Amino acid sequence: MSFARLTETYHVPDRIWDEMCDRGQVRPHYQSFFQSLSEASLEDLSGKDDMAKKLFMSQGITFTVYNSGEGIEKIFPFDIIPRIITAAEWTHIEQGIRQRIKALNIFLDDVYHNQFIIKDGILPASLVYSCPNYLREMVNVPVPHGIYTHIAGIDLIRDSDGSFYVLEDNLRTPSGVSYMLENRNMTYRIFPGLLSQSNVRSVKDYPDLLLKNLMALSPRQTAEPTVVLLTPGIYNSAYFEHTTLARLMGVELVEGRDLVVDNAKVYMKTTAGLKQIDVIYRRVDDEFIDPLVFNPDSILGVSGLYYAFRKGHVAIVNAPGNGVADDKAVYPYVPEMIRYYLNEEPILKTVPTYALDNPDHFKTVFDSVHRMVIKKTNESGGYGMLMGNAATDEQIAAYREEVKKNPRQFIAQPIITLSSVPCFLDGVMRPRHVDLRPFALYGPQGIEIVPGGLTRVALREGSLVVNSSQGGGSKDTWVLAY
Amino acid sequence: MERTDNMLRLLRTNYIASQDEILDFPWQQYVANLTSGKALQAEATLTYREVLYMLLLSKDNDSSVFTNIVRARENARSVQDYITKELWQNLNDYYHLVRNPATEKIIQQDDPVTAMDLLMREGTLFYGTVDITMYRGEGYAFLNLGKYIERAWQVLDIVELRIRNMDATANEAIHWKYLLYSLSGYEFHTKEYQNSLQTSEVMNQVFFNTRFPHSIMYCLFQTERYFNRLDSLSLPENFKEIKFLLGKAINELRYTTHDMGGREQILHVIDTTRERVLAISGKLAHYYFGYSN
Repeated sequence: MSFARLTETYHVPDRIWDEMCDRGQVRPHYQSFFQSLSEASLEDLSGKDDMAKKLFMSQGITFTVYNSGEGIEKIFPFDIIPRIITAAEWTHIEQGIRQRIKALNIFLDDVYHNQFIIKDGILPASLVYSCPNYLREMVNVPVPHGIYTHIAGIDLIRDSDGSFYVLEDNLRTPSGVSYMLENRNMTYRIFPGLLSQSNVRSVKDYPDLLLKNLMALSPRQTAEPTVVLLTPGIYNSAYFEHTTLARLMGVELVEGRDLVVDNAKVYMKTTAGLKQIDVIYRRVDDEFIDPLVFNPDSILGVSGLYYAFRKGHVAIVNAPGNGVADDKAVYPYVPEMIRYYLNEEPILKTVPTYALDNPDHFKTVFDSVHRMVIKKTNESGGYGMLMGNAATDEQIAAYREEVKKNPRQFIAQPIITLSSVPCFLDGVMRPRHVDLRPFALYGPQGIEIVPGGLTRVALREGSLVVNSSQGGGSKDTWVLAY
Repeated sequence: MERTDNMLRLLRTNYIASQDEILDFPWQQYVANLTSGKALQAEATLTYREVLYMLLLSKDNDSSVFTNIVRARENARSVQDYITKELWQNLNDYYHLVRNPATEKIIQQDDPVTAMDLLMREGTLFYGTVDITMYRGEGYAFLNLGKYIERAWQVLDIVELRIRNMDATANEAIHWKYLLYSLSGYEFHTKEYQNSLQTSEVMNQVFFNTRFPHSIMYCLFQTERYFNRLDSLSLPENFKEIKFLLGKAINELRYTTHDMGGREQILHVIDTTRERVLAISGKLAHYYFGYSN
């Protein structure tokens, strides 16, 4: 099938950066991929699409929706056409993320210790202390190797000129890495031989790198520290990811009830008695990790865990209290943090952001609300968001009243039209908007970023919301070696 | 059947490795190790699909999965009074799957992993059917003797193949990872050895760990276990001789140093163990089947 036939339905709107096409011509890094499809018919591609769905289902890469007491297995929609990133683009992304993570980590250390950034007037104290995720319990608490942001997922988007922008930082319990790994496994099944022919860099080392970092954080001097992954349980939407990572790393997957604290040490209950835990990779939010210190109603955490952590007997990954650094109201200050802490210019751009507790910003935003997206500062997953270009006047008025009640909890950003990529939908190729979440691992040896990430795609035509909870899907992300 | 299962796991793993690594994969060496006769002639120019076809479905290759299944079915036909009807049906299904043009199409045009998974599933059904339907008598004992001797042999071959394909500059951990995948032992390694992928620990798992069902020691213990069941069915002197060979093989391996870090040392252990396994196999064939050796 010729490229023209394959893409006859592929029309990219004006003023949108398309990852594949530039003024009707295929960009060089996509040519090899489409060349390889030249012998495939649309029916072949539909067959591959069906095969991917069946494989996701048979491998249990699903999430469960409970309805009328019955669990229905659903798959996270996967698009078979990969998103391709050139080696040069990746170098830029990698440098930018490394710089950003480094600065955010120093910020967390600073904000929980000396607070130079506040004393020097770079960041208002009110912003920090009004952040619901700033944990006073973490003040003056040392963390192993001074690392807070062990695992970070940085959401990137591309504007119409192709520049990469950071949309948000995820420094608490970023999810999606299992889909990055599974999407790659799917690609070699549906496009045999293509990955190696195209010189695509591998992402499969992620679990090994993560385990290496986790083991290096052990407070005990032992060759074989005990690492566990703490999950909220089987009803958590990311449970598949928890089991996948635990299996790939060979660590125990535990729930709060499997652990107990004695004499400021954390133990796992085993058939052979209690076994001391050195490192906990927790996928439970700060609020729920210890009912004695945080939410007293929590049954997901472990009583006394925080005390054991403070005593230095167990490492918790990511460190508690990171939420202050990925708060959306703190986000616009990150470029200043980079300049302040690293004396460098930010490599990745930041989306202009308006804090709605500033009356001038409030007026500016609501005067041009149809060009704005308004978000809650401590929400994720696309919840609590208003897309000004798609909202009715009634929705805007209601939202405005909501913002007025607690303006600190809201920020606004101009709507950036995300870049588009080809997606194979209903038997034809169509452009859809995407973002990119690369995953960075910060260990005692430094920051490592796996060459790839989770490309999330807004499957509805014209939609800019890529979150899976809002109808988004994903696709494999290829980073070319050269 | 055991040979087929091991071969499928090996091919599946190496096919996936060839997809996910930017490496020149030495398919030719795999072909050389797993083929015989006419199949070898054109090996230098084969594509990976042709290689897979040759190793899986070729009628000209004496060691292909196709040939193995045909022979297993013929053997089963000749001992139908010793096996259950379910087992015979299972082998028939396997036979028809391997002959099905759709299987060939998947290997030649679509995703070979799907075809290998389908074939492996039939193998798994075979083991399950044996386990839940076979009378625990003479036939069952011989079936398991064959299984574990063949498994030990295959594991020795697979380890040797991997070691000989490792170049000096390669990252050993990657090779060990794929070795363990092909023995279905990677997940066990991550739990038991904390994912170290150190040569000595991988060798410990593959040779000595009695909780790992593809370890040589496990296979020898199982061989001894099922051989002991033949005690009352054997001539005492024949039984004693094979019992001695089994004990010798087990003890020689048991008292080999567990810290096998060097290539030459590993190859030496492989050679020695292979000789012992061959001796056991030869005597079993001689005393119990009346074949030569």
